[in-house]
Amino acid sequence: MLQTLPRRVVVALLALSVFFPIGLVLYQSVLSGPFFMPATTLSLESFVFIFEDPDFWSATKNTFAIAIGMSLIAIPLGAILAFIMVRTDLPGRRWLETPIMIPIFVSPVVLAFGYVVSLGPVGFFSVWFQELFGSVPWNIYSLASIIVIAGLTHVPHVYLYSSSALRNLGSDVEEAARLSGASPFRVARDVSLPMVSPALLYVGVLVFFLGFEIFGLPLVLGDPEGHLVLTTYLYKLTNKLGTPSYHLMAAVATCIIAVTFPLVLLQRALLKTAQRFVAMKGKSARQRPLALGVWRWVAFALILGWLFVTVIVPVSGIALRSVVSSWGQGVKLLDVLTLDHFHAVFEEATMIRAIVNSILIGTLGGALAVGGYLAIGLVTHRKNDGITRFVDYVILTPRAVPGLMAGLAVFWVFLFVPFLAPLRSTLFSVWFAYAVVWLAYGMRLIQSALMQVGPELEEAGRLVGASRARVSRDITVPLIRNGLLGAWLLVFMIFEREYSTGVYLLSPGTEVIGAQIVSLWASGAVDVVAALSLINMALVGIGLAVALRFGVKLHD
Amino acid sequence: MTDKTILTVDNLALSYGSNPILKGVSMHLRRGEVVSLLGPSGSGKTTLLRAVAGLEQPHTGSVTIAGRAIYDAAANVDIPAEKRELGLVFQSYALWPHKTVFDNVAYPLLLRKVAQNEIAQRVHKALKNLGLDHLAERYPHQLSGGQQQRVSIARALVYNPPVILLDEPLSNLDAKMREEARAWLRNLIVEMQLSALVVTHDQSEAMAMSDRILLLNGGVIEQQGTPTEMYGQPQTYFVADFMGSNNVMQGRIADIRGGMARIDLDNGLSVWGLRRTNAAIGQGALAVVRVEQVQLADTPGENRTEVELSTSMFLGDRYEYVFHAGKDLLRAWGKRHEDAGKRWLEFPPEAVWVF
Repeated sequence: MLQTLPRRVVVALLALSVFFPIGLVLYQSVLSGPFFMPATTLSLESFVFIFEDPDFWSATKNTFAIAIGMSLIAIPLGAILAFIMVRTDLPGRRWLETPIMIPIFVSPVVLAFGYVVSLGPVGFFSVWFQELFGSVPWNIYSLASIIVIAGLTHVPHVYLYSSSALRNLGSDVEEAARLSGASPFRVARDVSLPMVSPALLYVGVLVFFLGFEIFGLPLVLGDPEGHLVLTTYLYKLTNKLGTPSYHLMAAVATCIIAVTFPLVLLQRALLKTAQRFVAMKGKSARQRPLALGVWRWVAFALILGWLFVTVIVPVSGIALRSVVSSWGQGVKLLDVLTLDHFHAVFEEATMIRAIVNSILIGTLGGALAVGGYLAIGLVTHRKNDGITRFVDYVILTPRAVPGLMAGLAVFWVFLFVPFLAPLRSTLFSVWFAYAVVWLAYGMRLIQSALMQVGPELEEAGRLVGASRARVSRDITVPLIRNGLLGAWLLVFMIFEREYSTGVYLLSPGTEVIGAQIVSLWASGAVDVVAALSLINMALVGIGLAVALRFGVKLHD
Repeated sequence: MTDKTILTVDNLALSYGSNPILKGVSMHLRRGEVVSLLGPSGSGKTTLLRAVAGLEQPHTGSVTIAGRAIYDAAANVDIPAEKRELGLVFQSYALWPHKTVFDNVAYPLLLRKVAQNEIAQRVHKALKNLGLDHLAERYPHQLSGGQQQRVSIARALVYNPPVILLDEPLSNLDAKMREEARAWLRNLIVEMQLSALVVTHDQSEAMAMSDRILLLNGGVIEQQGTPTEMYGQPQTYFVADFMGSNNVMQGRIADIRGGMARIDLDNGLSVWGLRRTNAAIGQGALAVVRVEQVQLADTPGENRTEVELSTSMFLGDRYEYVFHAGKDLLRAWGKRHEDAGKRWLEFPPEAVWVF
């Protein structure tokens, strides 16, 4: 079939945007020094250096410990939560649906900071607990705490996939089991769970993968006791040798990609099996929820308890910390209340720029990104050829690169390519990095919107005389308006929440709240971090409120 | 082929991967003629229609419309769907939900850069022809199924395509409306002198609506002809079986006399029929007779055979009798209720086909 010029341009730009930065990282990893230094030669010494560094190995060990540990916590809890929410008569199920999703939308670095000010040695909850019981049994900075917190905050991811698998499961297969004589719990064990097991397997790999690229939590919580993971090890390398140690960072990044990329491919394969399972669904008639009896209140209390630990504790901690001048044992709350931190934020040009930039990148940048995703979606829409399959893999690739490294790679691109250099210290570089990092996420939103359009509506357009391009403009795009609005709102929230991608791109003019928090945290400016964190959560919250107002589904 | 031919399909073949859907189909459509593509699901009828429309990709053969090659594998001609100037009425109607009835029908004219006032004029004329003038400002979801179908037809006709394609046009209507719509649609096609290619899986719909029927089976044309030919002179068992309600009985050829054959049936009966098989005496064959051709009789006689009437069913306009003959259940129609018991069935030899 004839390849039109716009299609080629879109695909070429996409491939360039994805492969050039990643290629640069891989290339940099086999150089003896930063790529812009004249004396650099091809060499594997960067790998030799990190493999001889004991910190690298302890970081690797910790990374695996966190990835495995949080999977073990998040998967059972998320699956049980999904079963309770979808299949039982839990009180207030409808009301709980949105709060359950909140941890997904709060920036992990903000969340981590929230835990420090709430449960840290002089955190609000620690102090209150100590005043009541005499001592505090937890240590928020231990590796175990990081694992538990990471596990608890990833429960929504598991919930999301298992609940949609459970919802897709036709109730007729369960009813058939009931009529054959199985009790409700036998039904869950023998029919429902095996049928959603492909989804659980998929989400298991996903959570393990997310554990591998986790950055915000170990950065904030792991620092005091020196628990490094691979991403934070990479981050610390920046200053380790004094000179820019780009080749070492690239070598670490390559090691991470070597693990994450196969995981991404595995997820893709698993998702396909999971969908095949779902394709066999029967009629999804309304089914009677399973009566839990007294246990419903126990389940309700457990879910509230989980929400208390993962949402209320960190968020209230941040809210409180942003309006007190200091905190510790014996301090009276009313004595220390102040709005000084917010004054400080709004008096400094950098902070105002960070807030304005964050809003710009979410609104305007989000719209631009959705526009780009839409262009990619349209050139592959209902075309099952080589280019479409190629694009499928291109889209998947950035998923394997954690935001921190993607930001670094983009930073190098803007350093390396002469005509791009002037754009390095503009918001464009940050937007570009964000758009590439969230490519797979955005494309899923666009593609699922496009799939909703009946093929015959487009064919009817072709038949009456409209070219492909005309059909896209006059039929396809108008029909997915709501999907595009939803995608824009979700991308807005994701862009507000993003923090790691902007870290290396942070310079005067490109400040965004997330990266600013990471940088300020390193300098110990807790007051300002608290205020900025609250502002960040407020921005995400506004996006969430608008999305809910427009009835946007928060997933798929 | 005369110059009245408006659509010619020659040896068209199409596969999905290694799975052949059309295995070399040839047909033609004359100006002002209605041809039905009939067949069971999976026979390739819809694929053939979509290949003519340009929505499926054949790999050999050619399609010509009004003397213009729109697809020719040998000459590497493949005009895209939007340049074929065909009208297609989709099974689901495929009305654009974001456009009003007026805008749906106006869109083809808009694409052809027709002037605004002429668009308004032509759309209103098209809607008026179909009795939809008062619905112009509605959106598709505000219309009934029948109205949606008319809008879909108006949209396919508004730019005067030489051929109109209809994909299962009546299947989305409920059973009662379907018969009325069938008459209405046939009348519309005749009155507007349209050349139409209609896909359907319902043989009575095909017979009622079309001048000629093409019966497809497994990607090839099994038989084609006028509705009366298709119904009255099936050349193969498949055609006989597909086109009407039959009594089908297995047996062995017992005697052959010219075009007639006698078959001894496994159920114990023995009947004379028209020979449509090359099977020799002693070989297996099938006897097929239309249910309405089997006559119930109270006395023995020529071509009559004794059977056991088991029950009578009232169907509204007639009764259906169910007989036991060996392992077979036979059916016949009549005007009155009959009590169970011994009866005679008459199989007129000219109405029995031996395949």
